[in-house]
Amino acid sequence: MSEPGSPRVETRLVYAHGLAAIITLLLAITFGLLAAMEMLFPDLGANHAWLSWGRLRYDHTQGIMLAWLGNAFFAFLYHAVPVLTGRPVTSRRLGEWIFGLWNFAVVLPGWVLVLAGFSQPLEWAEFPMVVDVFVVLALVLAIIQFLPPFFARGIENLYVSSWYIIGALVFTALSYPMGNFIPEIVPGARGAAFSGLWIHDAVGLYVTPLALAITYFVIPAASRRPIFSHFLSMLGFWLLFFVYPLNGTHHYIFSVIPMNAQIGAIAASTILGVDVIIVVTNLLLSLRGSGIFPRDIGLRYVAMSTILYLVVSIQGSVQAQMSVNQAVHFSDWVIGHSHLAMLGFATFAAAGGLIHAWQRIPHVRYNARMLSWSYWLLLAGVILMVTDLTAAGLVEAKIWQSAAPWLDSVRAAHIFWLIRAHSATLIFLGFFALLAGLTTGGVGAGLKEVEASVGLEPVKHIAPRMAAAAEA
Amino acid sequence: MNGDGHRGLRMAYIVASIGGVGFFVLSVLLLAVWPGRVLEDETRRMSPQHPLGLTTSELRGREIYGREGCAYCHTQQIRYLQSDMARFGAPTLAWETRFDYPQLWGTRRIGPDLSREASTRSTDWQYAHLYSPRSVVPDSIMPAFATLFDSSPDRPRQEARDLVSYLETLGRAREIAGPEGDAHARNACNCPDEMSQMAFQSPVLNASPARARRSGPHPQLAANADAHRGEEIYVHNCQGCHGVHGQGDGPGAESLHPQPPNFAEEEFTLDQLSSTLWNGSVGTAMPAWRDLPVEDLAAVASVVRGFHAPQKEPAFPSSILDLGANVYKDHCAQCHGDQGAGDGSAISELDVLPTNFREERPSVTEALRVLRNGMEGTQMAPWSAKLSEAELSAVAYYIRGFFQPDAVRQ
Repeated sequence: MSEPGSPRVETRLVYAHGLAAIITLLLAITFGLLAAMEMLFPDLGANHAWLSWGRLRYDHTQGIMLAWLGNAFFAFLYHAVPVLTGRPVTSRRLGEWIFGLWNFAVVLPGWVLVLAGFSQPLEWAEFPMVVDVFVVLALVLAIIQFLPPFFARGIENLYVSSWYIIGALVFTALSYPMGNFIPEIVPGARGAAFSGLWIHDAVGLYVTPLALAITYFVIPAASRRPIFSHFLSMLGFWLLFFVYPLNGTHHYIFSVIPMNAQIGAIAASTILGVDVIIVVTNLLLSLRGSGIFPRDIGLRYVAMSTILYLVVSIQGSVQAQMSVNQAVHFSDWVIGHSHLAMLGFATFAAAGGLIHAWQRIPHVRYNARMLSWSYWLLLAGVILMVTDLTAAGLVEAKIWQSAAPWLDSVRAAHIFWLIRAHSATLIFLGFFALLAGLTTGGVGAGLKEVEASVGLEPVKHIAPRMAAAAEA
Repeated sequence: MNGDGHRGLRMAYIVASIGGVGFFVLSVLLLAVWPGRVLEDETRRMSPQHPLGLTTSELRGREIYGREGCAYCHTQQIRYLQSDMARFGAPTLAWETRFDYPQLWGTRRIGPDLSREASTRSTDWQYAHLYSPRSVVPDSIMPAFATLFDSSPDRPRQEARDLVSYLETLGRAREIAGPEGDAHARNACNCPDEMSQMAFQSPVLNASPARARRSGPHPQLAANADAHRGEEIYVHNCQGCHGVHGQGDGPGAESLHPQPPNFAEEEFTLDQLSSTLWNGSVGTAMPAWRDLPVEDLAAVASVVRGFHAPQKEPAFPSSILDLGANVYKDHCAQCHGDQGAGDGSAISELDVLPTNFREERPSVTEALRVLRNGMEGTQMAPWSAKLSEAELSAVAYYIRGFFQPDAVRQ
């Protein structure tokens, strides 16, 4: 049976990437949970080099960024690109290559090499350079796979999600080598200027655009109401791609990097907050009628992602200001911020997009009850973790400003780290429920649910070509 | 769709593509290439002429530092902020980072910044700390790197040696450049704003409160202190090396050279404890504790004095004391000084200052032990081969006479 409404979706690749996403996610957060435990029981990994805290942390963040979000984004793209363009992706065979490369030439060897002691000590770039080569190769192949459908029959008007997808793929391919290779040949402070850019580009040019592509896609597709304003969508898009890359230096405020670059980055961070208010206003107005906790679980995830995006971005703008930054920089506040971004905003979008695509694959299992559980467990977990780490950061900042011994800040943080480990347990359970939601339950239950609620007709605004074909 | 509209759209997309890529290029130019040129120029102008690079061993150590994620808890970047300067010292200058491939600035501080770690701690402390951090810093949460050792902190593998030699390079180049290096940098800086001037405003290059110094003013600790508070401070900061009962047998003590003193067998004046707590003990693993409040130091000093069990003074026949005086004059006075004040003529040659017997009095047993075995990690040699048993005992008795207890001073 072909999938109604979107006959060209490569459902096998959606399925493969979706499953890989959840399995690698469970591994990636196992690294995180172990690292959180080692802050409470520091001798846990003492006799095994591969279990030491630093290596676990490298694998945790690279795993979340490349393994979980990467696979989830691919799964979504295999669903969304054909729907948006009314055309198939370039090649199923190419898709199998990308899947193989991403999981067996990037994620798996990257993890193993880091644990074996081969890595590079650059944030969001910890996999060794030999793995980076395969990441860039896979990104180029992804451009070949996903972009031609947008331009196959000449140029036409694109929906905002398409813009975000094109932007994300192109700019990730550009910025990834910059962040992963240049600091190896440009030393010290000069290299740090590039690293600062990459730390923000990884979030701003790779994660955010793809998460927003999902958000802009799922909201109208699942609610069957058009996006509130296409003008605001496009305004948000262009502002984002202008302002996001200019944020990088805000990771090194009060450093030796020229003050003008720092001030520029702080100004850009402030404008970014305004941009996000525009984007989120548009998205929340598009959600009118669906509520904050919509019935459809994919939409529910995406709606929360939108709210968390607003919170994390405003927080980001605030913490880039010099007066705030000098106190909270280097503290757990920032760890809270990055969890709010990656675990809150990005993961909720990725999970929503994955569930949305999954519902529309015939012959896969689907368990709405477990998915609902995953949503509430994750939401509780992320709120607890971020609140806790933010409070920890404030306490640490206060102690660092005083004359108290350094270790006082470590002692004071202990209780917060204990709570964080508990919140990580909630999150672990939440992700386990996500896995169960997509692998248990009735076969085709997702499709039945969609048919019973909103139906499967193509939505005109996001899939004009397919809507026209359906009408004809 | 008519042809004109199509063309307009195509133009729009071309403009958009150029614009989009342009944004990215702009960000790299504005925030990486241009600052890079400024920094390169600054490095050229402000760097001392031949700054010391890293040896092969130090470079290997740097690899290990990177591989184990040290930079994810320890920054190597002192910001241009009073709070950073007060804790760690002079802010990081561009030229100091010129050999860092790749940079290890870090964005999180769970442990302290390490930009100025060179000559902050003794090597034996570093080994003990890497092998088992909690053995020397009871409340630390640093992971143990026992795998860099051959099952004892005394037996570092090459990797541990490399790592510790790398730690000794952090801040070294600027320290070697000395005040004239900083003066040169300040002149070459033409520092345009208040912030960049801060690079030269730190009173000391390395502000670590743990860094030991040979001498220096120190507060006079009060004799009456809060015993309960003292216990608490002792458990959290001292017990790792000095042991539960102050006998110098804590888990961290084993691999330290010299080993921590046995407080049960050593009597200290309050002045000596004040000085050691405030200034540390150069050449040994005993750091300074200038970051603790003075009341807490006073409290811990009374705990240390409380470990000493006063023993009944044996009566000395004057013949023994005469023999002791002669032995002392012939063999000990060059280092320990004529009056036992640890100020002999040879002390400038010594890495670890000799015991000042006016301020510290070992029991006879302890003095004999040290006389027979020497003190590993210091220039105090074993004397049992050179001196007879009678001479050893005599000098062990004799040195106790130098002590000036607090009561006598007042």
